[in-house]
Amino acid sequence: MGGVSARCKHLYVHIPFCPKICPYCNFYKEGANRWKIPKFLDALILESRKIAHLVELETVFVGGGTPTALSSPQIQKLFLVFKQYLDFSKVSEWTIEINPATVSLEKARLLLELGVNRASLGVQSWDSSQLLTLGRVHTIFQAERSYNILRDAGFKNINIDLIFGIPGQTLKSWEKTLEKTCSLKPEHISAYALTYEEDTEFFFKLKNGIVQRDEDLEVRMFHLTQQYLEAAGYVGYEISNFAKEGFESKHNWAYWNGDEFLGLGPSAFSNFMGHRWQNIENTEEYTNRVHAGIDPKNFDEIVDYEIKLREKIAFGLRTRVGVPKFYLDEQKSGPLIEEGYLEVFGENVKLSQLGKILADEIAAELIP
Amino acid sequence: MGKTILRTRNFCIIAHIDHGKTTLSDRLLEFTGTISEREKQDQLLDSMELERERGITIKAHPVTMWYRAADGLEYRLNLLDTPGHVDFSYEVSRSLAACEGAILVVDAAQGVEAQTVANVHLAHKHKLVIIPVINKIDLPNADVEGVKKQLEDILAIPGEESILCSAKQGIGIGEVLEAVVQRIPPPVEEDEILRGLVFDSVFDGYRGVVGYVRIFSGSVERGQEVTLMSTGRHYEVKEVGIFTPKPQVQEKLVAGDVGYFIANIKTTAEVKVGDTLTDGKRPAEEPLPGFQEVRPMVFSGIYPINTADFEHLKAAMSKLQLNDAAFVFTPESSVALGFGFRCGFLGLLHMEIIQERLRREYNMDIIATYPSVVYQVEKTNGEVVEVDNPAHLPDMSVVREIREPIVRCYVLVPNENIGDIMQIMMEKRGTVEHTESLDTRRVMITGILPLNEILVDFHDKIKSVTRGYGSMDYEPAGYRAADLVKLEMLVNGEVVDAFSSIVHRDKAEARGRALAQKLKEVIPRQLYQVAIQAAIGGKIIARENVSALRKNVTAKCYGGDITRKRKLLEKQKEGKKRMKAIGTVHIPQEAFIEVLKAN
Ligand SMILES: Nc1nc2c(ncn2[C@@H]2O[C@H](COP(=O)(O)OP(=O)(O)OP(=O)(O)O)[C@@H](O)[C@H]2O)c(=O)[nH]1
Ligand SMILES: C[S@@+](CC[C@H](N)C(=O)[O-])C[C@H]1O[C@@H](n2cnc3c(N)ncnc32)[C@H](O)[C@@H]1O
Ligand code: SF4
Ligand SMILES: [Mg+2]
Repeated sequence: MGGVSARCKHLYVHIPFCPKICPYCNFYKEGANRWKIPKFLDALILESRKIAHLVELETVFVGGGTPTALSSPQIQKLFLVFKQYLDFSKVSEWTIEINPATVSLEKARLLLELGVNRASLGVQSWDSSQLLTLGRVHTIFQAERSYNILRDAGFKNINIDLIFGIPGQTLKSWEKTLEKTCSLKPEHISAYALTYEEDTEFFFKLKNGIVQRDEDLEVRMFHLTQQYLEAAGYVGYEISNFAKEGFESKHNWAYWNGDEFLGLGPSAFSNFMGHRWQNIENTEEYTNRVHAGIDPKNFDEIVDYEIKLREKIAFGLRTRVGVPKFYLDEQKSGPLIEEGYLEVFGENVKLSQLGKILADEIAAELIP
Repeated sequence: MGKTILRTRNFCIIAHIDHGKTTLSDRLLEFTGTISEREKQDQLLDSMELERERGITIKAHPVTMWYRAADGLEYRLNLLDTPGHVDFSYEVSRSLAACEGAILVVDAAQGVEAQTVANVHLAHKHKLVIIPVINKIDLPNADVEGVKKQLEDILAIPGEESILCSAKQGIGIGEVLEAVVQRIPPPVEEDEILRGLVFDSVFDGYRGVVGYVRIFSGSVERGQEVTLMSTGRHYEVKEVGIFTPKPQVQEKLVAGDVGYFIANIKTTAEVKVGDTLTDGKRPAEEPLPGFQEVRPMVFSGIYPINTADFEHLKAAMSKLQLNDAAFVFTPESSVALGFGFRCGFLGLLHMEIIQERLRREYNMDIIATYPSVVYQVEKTNGEVVEVDNPAHLPDMSVVREIREPIVRCYVLVPNENIGDIMQIMMEKRGTVEHTESLDTRRVMITGILPLNEILVDFHDKIKSVTRGYGSMDYEPAGYRAADLVKLEMLVNGEVVDAFSSIVHRDKAEARGRALAQKLKEVIPRQLYQVAIQAAIGGKIIARENVSALRKNVTAKCYGGDITRKRKLLEKQKEGKKRMKAIGTVHIPQEAFIEVLKAN
């Protein structure tokens, strides 16, 4: 369960700045503050040197926030230094998250030049009014333009992030978003059901009845998504992730497999040597601590066998591979299989189409 | 004749609930210097946490005080504070049996209430001298003259005998004590053979059973060989003492004394309340008149949520039972709930208290089933069985008749509420025996009702239609045949025996529907559709569905999320564990509680 090797193969880097804060998002981020950035980048570099001897990287994921909120020179410096300190020789997948309207052809080319080979573009929707609802900083035209820039620059592996279940969204308009997305032929699509995350404006509005959700509609959108994308030639390899053959994200697989990974930057998690820890969720403090030579770790837990098993079940079930049947208590899994929530194939069990939408409920039922 | 113990007085304090018995006791303790300023706290005798939180007395508490009276002599006064709630009225009878007199406390603002009447009857039965005390005269709405008149009219107690008092403000306390000395007759010792009335017992982990005893004749001391007359077993006394209110060791207890004895007795079961303690070598010929053994009136199943806790639960219950002889339990099993216990209680308050103590003091996660009274079921072959668990009702095809316990109920209400009360009594399948005007404002309505019907909300209803002015009390009045049926609730086609109840045919359908509706509300949507049905004699009369959960999925699971996500799932898991799984359906604890409330 979960490869334990001497050297860590997966790296996550968190860039906590966004041009504009979206009202539904609870990732750790803040408004881009130009004065903070240089010192912060130095901290990232310092932190990366600390892990230099621990890694032999195969995948890198630079996420956020909005990594492309950094200027080209900043990106260039950061990535070059990373490659200098860390063993990038075996990297085969290097993703960067990109917010539409934060990427120019030059920046895109620079990224490719530096070795980034996968771009993840946060389109969210192809409906202008929904972008407004989501408080996005970009328009649908900018989103399409950014997509084209990435293609033109030479990205051969592009992901488009989408959100459904947006207040006011109809099944029809979601279908249009899917249609438009597919017409662009990205290699990978992530289609997330809108989650009302605590501590967000959206959550507050829901709680106070300012927005309502229509669960039945969300269910229909969910099923439509699966059908539509599978029909368009994408394989749903995880509840919210779809890819053309050969384009599944290796980095994501590492998470769901329980493999080891290291994270740099504020709020970043690491899973290494039987521990899981998270850096402090505060850019300034993170920066100060790293500069002062203090561990920026905020929390640390031991990932023992039982925890591993639970995670393996909770996350593995969501994937197309599923988990070995013997991981599960038969008394619990039996009725779920009978009811059609779980699918058996060979020695493994995974969520069925019906089960996917109840993934959390089922996982809670099944974890020991 | 016998020897009079001139300087001892034994009395108890009786009253309707909340009229101020415990508060008055506190004042008496202070006035006589039994407790120092330092030890002072409100309702001192209510020592149990639950008693203090709820502000009610559950157990009777004896205490000995010394009082120098106006005549210059010092008297030993033994006081027994008693509980006011009907459920614990047997505690009152015990205390009465140990006394020669009673202080009757009446709230100056509330006046005579149902339990005042009932307690006075009890006191008369025991031939006690009654000292009426009108308490709470400090209240702005106190109506002393009115209460005096009620005493005369309702209870035939001369109004001028009453002492005016405010236990809260310490007014009239001296007069109460003087009256105790002057009006209550001193105990009389017939001969010198030891006779002690055991009126309570508690269990002490270190010393075994502590028996509470009132000595009527003879004496008892350390080293003496004694016997309990109902069992004939012999013991050697290890210690005797009195309560001040803390236990205080004494050389010996003599006639007239109220105190305790410890004699290496291992279980409270050996020390029957009402038993007579006598000398091992020179035993009394006849026991003291005991009093009726308490019989549980209400039964309910108590089950551990986690089957693994069965033994724990058993141990916890045994401990509670040590100090509460009225609480009984035997193992039983339920199809739905697994292994648990059938428990007998004096009433619903008693039931609630036991359940709460199990939860609170013993940290037990438990589920309690719908309370049931004890039915007498006469089968077609003439055999009569007692059924305290609806699940055990024999098949109706072999049942000739079901008889249910009935009570005589005294309801005291303002005149204008007569109509409402009659209405409520009718709804509760009761009949009114008679109505009696007590004074110009109030009537006492005596009715016969099924015990089952008054258990849950009868008292609340009376309180609410009378805006708090009504009160009630009841006593068992035998059994009566009735057209009763078993109402069963099915979850996904399986009978959940814990939800079964025996109800009157006319009410069964409405109740079945209400229950199904209630369950639908409290059972959360889950992975599987849940069908809830109500059935009478196998015939489905109501049906509700809890539709299956539609959606519960976290969309994005990135690396950092893993811990958070797992913890959420673990929490969800814990939540499920706290529910009872019946087949694949998780039924939350509240469901069992809501079923109690649905009426
Ligand atoms: N104003 C006023 N309140 C009083 C007086 N005596 C008691 N009370 C209040 O009446 C309430 C009930 O008093 P308790 O002494 O607990 O009554 P009780 O009769 O022992 O009650 P149970 O044991 O539950 O039957 C408390 O809130 C007391 O503070 C009094 O003389 N005046
Ligand atoms: C951490 S964001 C970073 C990408 C980039 N900042 C952007 O917004 O385009 C990654 C993706 O998570 C998804 N996401 C963020 N908050 C979400 C929410 N509350 N519910 C569903 N998906 C969400 C969005 O699709 C978003 O593109
Ligand atoms: S969704 Fe993306 S752009 Fe919006 S606040 Fe979150 S990280 Fe920033
Ligand atoms: Mg009291």
